[in-house]
Amino acid sequence: MANTLLSLNEATRTVNSGSNKVTLLDNINLQVKEGEFISLMGPSGSGKSTLLNCIGMLDSFTGGGYTFLGEPVHSMKEKNRSKLYKEYIGFVFQAYHLIDELTVWENIETPLLYKNVKSLERRGLVADMLDRFNIVGKKDLFPIQLSGGQQQLVGIARALIGKPKLILADEPTGNLNSKQSTEIMELFSQLNKEGVTIIQATHSEKNASYGSRIINLLDGKIV
Amino acid sequence: MILNYIKIAFRTLLKNKGYSFLNIFGLAIGITCATLIFLWVEDELSFNSNFDKQDQVYYVPTNQNYEGEWRTFYATPGPLAKDMKDDIPGILKATKSSLQERLFAVGDNSITRRGRYADEDFLDIFSLKFIEGNRENAFSNPEAIVLTQKTAEELFGKEEKALGKVIRVSNKDSYLVTGVVENMPDNITFPFDWVAPFDRYGLGEEWTRVYGNNFSDTFVLLSPEANFEIVYAKVRNIIATKADFTDDYAFLHSIKDWHLRSKFKDGKIVGGRITYVRLFTIIAFIILLIACINFMNLSTARSEKRANEVGVRKAMGSSRSRLVTQFITEAVLLAFISVVFSVLLLAIILPQFNLVIEKDLSLGLTNPMHLFVLLSITLICGIFAGLYPAFYLSSFKPVHVLKGLKTTQGSASFIRKGLVVGQFTISIVFIIFTILVYQQIQHAKNRELGYDKDQLLSMRINGDFIPKFDLVQQELIRTGSVKNATLCNSHILSGGNNGSGFTWKGGTDTEDVLISFRNVTQSFFETTGMEIIEGRGFSSNVEADSSYALISESLAKMMGNENPIGNIISRDEDTFEIIGVVKDYVYGDMFESSDPVLFMHYPYYTRYMYIKTMDGVPVDKALSDIEAVLKKHNPAYPFEYTFIDEAFDAKFKNEQLVGELSQIFAILAILISCLGLFGLAAYTAEQRRKEIGVRKVLGASVSGIVKLLSKDFIKLVSISILIAIPIAWYFIKDWLQDYSYRIEINWWIFFIAGLMAIIIAVLTVSFQAVKAAIANPVDSLKTE
Repeated sequence: MANTLLSLNEATRTVNSGSNKVTLLDNINLQVKEGEFISLMGPSGSGKSTLLNCIGMLDSFTGGGYTFLGEPVHSMKEKNRSKLYKEYIGFVFQAYHLIDELTVWENIETPLLYKNVKSLERRGLVADMLDRFNIVGKKDLFPIQLSGGQQQLVGIARALIGKPKLILADEPTGNLNSKQSTEIMELFSQLNKEGVTIIQATHSEKNASYGSRIINLLDGKIV
Repeated sequence: MILNYIKIAFRTLLKNKGYSFLNIFGLAIGITCATLIFLWVEDELSFNSNFDKQDQVYYVPTNQNYEGEWRTFYATPGPLAKDMKDDIPGILKATKSSLQERLFAVGDNSITRRGRYADEDFLDIFSLKFIEGNRENAFSNPEAIVLTQKTAEELFGKEEKALGKVIRVSNKDSYLVTGVVENMPDNITFPFDWVAPFDRYGLGEEWTRVYGNNFSDTFVLLSPEANFEIVYAKVRNIIATKADFTDDYAFLHSIKDWHLRSKFKDGKIVGGRITYVRLFTIIAFIILLIACINFMNLSTARSEKRANEVGVRKAMGSSRSRLVTQFITEAVLLAFISVVFSVLLLAIILPQFNLVIEKDLSLGLTNPMHLFVLLSITLICGIFAGLYPAFYLSSFKPVHVLKGLKTTQGSASFIRKGLVVGQFTISIVFIIFTILVYQQIQHAKNRELGYDKDQLLSMRINGDFIPKFDLVQQELIRTGSVKNATLCNSHILSGGNNGSGFTWKGGTDTEDVLISFRNVTQSFFETTGMEIIEGRGFSSNVEADSSYALISESLAKMMGNENPIGNIISRDEDTFEIIGVVKDYVYGDMFESSDPVLFMHYPYYTRYMYIKTMDGVPVDKALSDIEAVLKKHNPAYPFEYTFIDEAFDAKFKNEQLVGELSQIFAILAILISCLGLFGLAAYTAEQRRKEIGVRKVLGASVSGIVKLLSKDFIKLVSISILIAIPIAWYFIKDWLQDYSYRIEINWWIFFIAGLMAIIIAVLTVSFQAVKAAIANPVDSLKTE
């Protein structure tokens, strides 16, 4: 039996829009075990991205409990929280969000810099990653010189470089054509097999089918 | 990590070339400007600092009371130096001295140099460093002269030793070189090319030995242990104990104050050039501030472009402090590039700047102090300018920016507007100040002088010239190039040669009135163009005129209802009958009303000859004719002259300098501010691209859109004008306070300055506005 990676207990996220209180996530209960590959599905505005951001600690729940690897995230200080996600979580974005001014190599290297990894070790890790994704030849190119699929590949490489336990992917193939999409999804299932837990938000049934579990959201509730 | 920052900073700079240019150029101009000012300030502060014993050397001026007000003079009685040294414990050394110009000749080589006749103590007070000869023997010979190295080389050449050689002085005396000392730097208050024993100059002269006559520059050296307060009190009393007929008193003026604090009012130091040193230092910082504001404005304005990067970096695990460090590193790097540019700019500008301020400043990058200051400017500018953008940019939440949501720009745009207002306020103050300084200078220059300064030459009288004057005058006139010539004991533009203690009929308490004496020849009024408004001028007979005098209008007014013509003015045994009244003329301080004048027909003891050239005769021809006549009668002396109108202009050097610098700074401040405005306008236009497109599709005209985009900026500049006017008014009023002959502040100056600012702002902004307005809406509405 695999360990529980994270669990949400009646987690809620509300925002104030003018004088109205809008509930984005409503009493979410969720347990994610290590090694799972979860697909979040639901129409636009159902709360998929918000849920991913909250789990990824870029955003935070306004109510309920959030435990990550046994630690209560909801009652944690900002500094510890950032330490936690720096260590265990990697992000993949729909719009790739590579830094335009950095080369492929440097983009992948960035998270290591923030983890204060030594230069020599960084070089080894980045080289391995480039090798693994077959993009060694592209290491000195800038994002603008790559196709969408290649950019997303770099984005995933960057998410993986810190050896995270969990990858959060918000519509990772949303800007890609079907051939590129398939490649990226194949990659995800390969990673999942190697033990990385993945939570992805997606609109596509096909992409969702790569996952081990599908969670449907509607108006901030799991249905 | 830092390398990564620098790398990304460089790439960002290269990617946004226009923006980088605006930033670097603006900052470079600001730094250049500040550096120029700091170099000037350094030079001003270093005046006289080459002399040792900075805490011990003092000049001794005197305060003299006239009409209830103390006036400070750089002149003391001859015996004062010796009496101070003898009677006041704590004064180690003291010297009287007199600045004189002498013609030196060695063989065919002859030059005129200024130097001092002084007592032996002079050598110690100024710690002269001997290259040839030595201090002990320097003044042991009554014929001695000590030269600076430069003068020695000019006379004897570089190879030859000057020590022990004889110089022919003023074609009659022989001086023996007993020493050569190190050259004096340019920035000293009392420069000299030579020093010779005082006795050579004034031995046996009654006026050098009495307390009734002030002529000497007296310098003293205090003992290091002396109690300044006690010594000062004794110095104040010493004239009173030696001479009971005067209430003049002497005081001590420190070598550290000679240059910067040498303006006296009612006997006390009230400032001097230090005012300008402070003013310009503040201006330097203000210009840097304007340049830094630019940086902040442009950085926050384009924050949306950087917002995404901030979001990604935060998601990758960056803390806020790391982002702040990154952005500040970027700003410092930019400041560093600016400094490099600025050094290049300085290399081009510094020679021109030196011409304006008449100094010989150099960047001196080998001087560690200069490098340190330059580096400090870089760091301070970078950090100061980068701080606000860094905190602003790093505050973005990744969730918001990564979703592409618009960042709320409320506070940033308010601050940005405030910064623009600040920049333009400063610029407008500079514009107003420039106009007013210029006006004030013109005002004084166009002042009714009381004589005609055009085509008027002055030259110093050398040698045995005065008895030959009548002949010279006739020959000059005969050349056809000269209208007339005259002699006078004083320079027409200068004060000095004055005294009090006069009485006349119809005046009470007249002993206090300070009157200038002018010994002149008969042709004086005609040559200079001064107007005799009552009575007559002098006759051709010096003897017959010996008891007659002319007075200036202001003196005539003091005589009240009494008819000045025929009135008797007298002091001690001298009595003059007034035969004419001369219209007041301006001399001494060009911004003050001049003291009354008493003209006497007395060609002896005159020191200047004035020559009025004929109308229509070319200057070259007139000069060569005059030279021919003078060479004939005074062959031993070089032909040296000055034009009075040029000397007149030189009197405005200080004001001219302030005016020109103020103009330069006004232009730079405006330029930097406009760079910023240009950048902001560009970003506003970009941000509102979509809005402009929609408006155009809905039928808005190009001019309507230009107006829409320019309106906000014009509003900001208008606010600046309103803030600038009272500030400028305050400063100008303060500055004009120093001049008793001054302009009224006209409201239209503020109007003109405001208008200029608006026009400049409109031109700057409208370029971007027009560009945005004529763009094809199809392009701007096609999203992503």
